[in-house]
Amino acid sequence: MLKAKLLIAAAAFSFGVAANAAADTVTFGVQAPITGQYANEGQGIEKAVRLLAKQLNADGGLLGKTVEVVACDDEGKATQAALCGRELSNKGVFTVIGSYTSGATAASQPIFARANILQTSDGTAEQLTQHGYKLFFRNAPPNSAEAKFTGEYLVKAKQYKRIAIIADHSSFAKGLGEAVTEAVKAEGGNIVYNGFINAGSQDYRSVLTSIKSENPDVIYFSGYYSDGGLIRAQQEALGIKADFVGGDANQNVKFGELAGKAAEGAVIINVPAPENLPYPEAKSFLSDYNAAYGENPPSIFTLTNADGMRAIVKAVQETKSFEPSDVADYLHSLRDFPGFTGPLGFDDNGERLGSAFQAFEIQADGSYKTTYPAN
Amino acid sequence: METFLQQLVNGLTVGSIYALIALGYTMVYGILKLINFAHGDLAVLGAFIGLTVITGLAGAGGAPANWIVIVAFVLAVLVVAIAGVLLEFTAYRPLRHAHRLSAVVSALGASMFIENGIMLIWSPQTLTFPEGIMPETTFHYGSVVISATQLFIVAISFVLMLALYLYVNKTRFGTAIRASAIDQDAARLMGINVNKVIVSVFVLGPALGAIGGLFIGVYYRQAVFDMGWIYGLNAFIAAIIGGIGNIPGAMIGGLLLGLFSSLAGGYISSTWQQAIVFGLLILILLVRPTGILGERVAEKV
Repeated sequence: MLKAKLLIAAAAFSFGVAANAAADTVTFGVQAPITGQYANEGQGIEKAVRLLAKQLNADGGLLGKTVEVVACDDEGKATQAALCGRELSNKGVFTVIGSYTSGATAASQPIFARANILQTSDGTAEQLTQHGYKLFFRNAPPNSAEAKFTGEYLVKAKQYKRIAIIADHSSFAKGLGEAVTEAVKAEGGNIVYNGFINAGSQDYRSVLTSIKSENPDVIYFSGYYSDGGLIRAQQEALGIKADFVGGDANQNVKFGELAGKAAEGAVIINVPAPENLPYPEAKSFLSDYNAAYGENPPSIFTLTNADGMRAIVKAVQETKSFEPSDVADYLHSLRDFPGFTGPLGFDDNGERLGSAFQAFEIQADGSYKTTYPAN
Repeated sequence: METFLQQLVNGLTVGSIYALIALGYTMVYGILKLINFAHGDLAVLGAFIGLTVITGLAGAGGAPANWIVIVAFVLAVLVVAIAGVLLEFTAYRPLRHAHRLSAVVSALGASMFIENGIMLIWSPQTLTFPEGIMPETTFHYGSVVISATQLFIVAISFVLMLALYLYVNKTRFGTAIRASAIDQDAARLMGINVNKVIVSVFVLGPALGAIGGLFIGVYYRQAVFDMGWIYGLNAFIAAIIGGIGNIPGAMIGGLLLGLFSSLAGGYISSTWQQAIVFGLLILILLVRPTGILGERVAEKV
């Protein structure tokens, strides 16, 4: 009985919104895991969208229309995501921000595509932009972007002449290691060693001793922090002077604990934490976010989703149109939009252009200092 | 050449840790003809107790004082020796006259019990040892680097192994241990308290294992609750290579295994390192089933 009443209320509410949308409001949908395993990420996305909407409305709205926000909780699950797809479509949203996970995003993608609704998501799985959905825009860099950035960093930025690459056998680290190898070769770099460690085996001295005889000037490791910290420590113990560069899975406080004194000077490549973003737009948004909610955004993905929304808003303002295809055309040719997470643009598949990755060096006190790109 | 020498140094350090742990397997097997599968986990228990003592007494920051390190080793040895005796009383003694397979199953169960106990007490996270537990000076010979920690580990292991060898071969009680290993019934008839011998073996083996486990923690500065499995397995292989039941054999087996796996990882493939070690085990079992120093044991009829 109660359920039936709620349904009626919900239906009445959604009709109300749809009716308003035609008049002087525009509705932005949020599809995010607001409860469940990734709850803090989902809540961060919703908070960021609501904050941006409030700021837009304070400036007179979007093309004179008041921005409204409706959120749908997909719990990070594909089944719930499909329900959210229908719910948000029925509410007549103009665009959807989210979802957080690639799986939940993939489940709602076709629904929004059919309903002619713009969507922007941070999901990093490669295939999200390979379906040919013209209204979908990925706002975070995909997995392959990290390898590309790493190749550029090692070969172009640091000019390493003798590069050693170590991976472990996990699908993640193996994939990243292979992609980095490809990227380094594409940049014309010289790889002197390419090998594997067995994750968790603790003793990497035999591999490192072999590497030492190749006299590398940098060791890149694509695996996880628990091995990376030990590799760094054992590298130092064996007197190998090479620099150490780790993939994103090395960013964990345990890395520094395990590497001990050797942690200082090690470099990790990842998208930066929100508070380490160097851009002035990001700093001012963070202080607004903090003032509104009394906390920092849970992760960088809050801000990439905010960037996706800002790019769409920018496109509407520039094209003076709420027609999704006009907005999409504009976004596909967008280049170097000053995002919170770095310069932002989209290619014809809706793939994010402009790297959000950074190389940061571990300092003596354990903090990170961004060394590349220089800001 | 220098790469080869460096691999030898690496292998010798790991090998002496394997040897310390292998002694526990071989002593228990020598007396009871039982593979104590829980032995690797007892060694890891030593690492965790040592870590708790060090962080408890020294606090989180800075290198711990020498006396703290000594207390950590002593307490680790004591607690693990007590755990070894408890293990004997609860898991093995009730099955002394049961089928041998029952004792093996009991050993596997004890291994799981200890491993999960460690996980429940110390969390499933990787724990980190503080820096500077042993002197961090390094010595350079050309491009070969030897750290003081490596020298300490090898030296202490050799001293302990020598002490054990002398104890077993030169003392009255050592003679009783050897007699019980050869024939328990005859030893009993000669007035030897075989139960006391068995308890002593469950004190000595785990005590050495605890030191080996704590060496692992100090050397790699890392302890994970489930690392007993792989170290136990390697030490077990070392015991078989040397000839299980034979004390000098376990020492030689441990050192050989450490050197062999270090060279295999460095020169052949680190991916196949463990597989190559198992290959060596199979080869030795085929060519010389009694191990390097094992004597041909007449089948009891």
